[in-house]
Amino acid sequence: MTKKIRRAAVLAGLGLVAQLVAALHWTPATFIVSAVIATPLILAGGVLFLAAVWKNMKDKGAV
Amino acid sequence: MLPAQLVIALVAGLAIVALLFYGAGALEGRTAGRLVLLVGLVALPLLLSAGNMSYGVSESSSTRFCLSCHEMQRHGKSLFADNKQALAAAHYQNRLVDRETVCYSCHKDYAMFGDVTAKLNGLRHVWAHYVAGVPAKIELYKPYPNSNCLHCHDDARRFIEGVAHRPILPALQAGTTSCLSCHRIAHDMAKVDADDLWQAH
Repeated sequence: MTKKIRRAAVLAGLGLVAQLVAALHWTPATFIVSAVIATPLILAGGVLFLAAVWKNMKDKGAV
Repeated sequence: MLPAQLVIALVAGLAIVALLFYGAGALEGRTAGRLVLLVGLVALPLLLSAGNMSYGVSESSSTRFCLSCHEMQRHGKSLFADNKQALAAAHYQNRLVDRETVCYSCHKDYAMFGDVTAKLNGLRHVWAHYVAGVPAKIELYKPYPNSNCLHCHDDARRFIEGVAHRPILPALQAGTTSCLSCHRIAHDMAKVDADDLWQAH
């Protein structure tokens, strides 16, 4: 599970880096980068984390 | 440029995500630790992303954002055209609209979904810029509506009492006579091409 959580952290971190870099100078291009790349990366990180926790709880019979 | 608070928040968010990356092993075994991971890896990045995008959407209404595409730079220059009759120049130079959002103030519809439509049209512009190609002649998607002018001028004394306006007020309000049928020059490109520009100082 640690591995999956770390993967989720990497995705969320990459998304935040992309948000920061893109948003330092707002232009149509950086806006699209922010909306199409950064936000989905952050969402993917969140989904990966929740999936890892859910699977772990299922394996332990908690749900 | 982003406001300092947002930059600091994004950097702090990144630092927290990095800390949780290293501390994941120790935190995952405890309920409180999982809550910390949930907040740090899901809630916080999503909140920062939403804040950043919200700032980006508001920034996309700014004049500098519109003029950051080279296709629009002649239109931007027309704000300085030395022509008191040209609508864009008159509004900009006399500060009739906020200079920071001058394009957006005149080119967005003021109906219920005016903002949404303007942003969707912005996406069409980006598509044209990067993929489909910009047409040789830049034109509006639809005839300029009187309602955009009347949003500000409708109850303005100078407009209502204007000698030329009084006889056609109902037609202007109904949109059957276009404001542009008399105010013909919106952007004076001839002055731009001749570099005949006005500067305050």
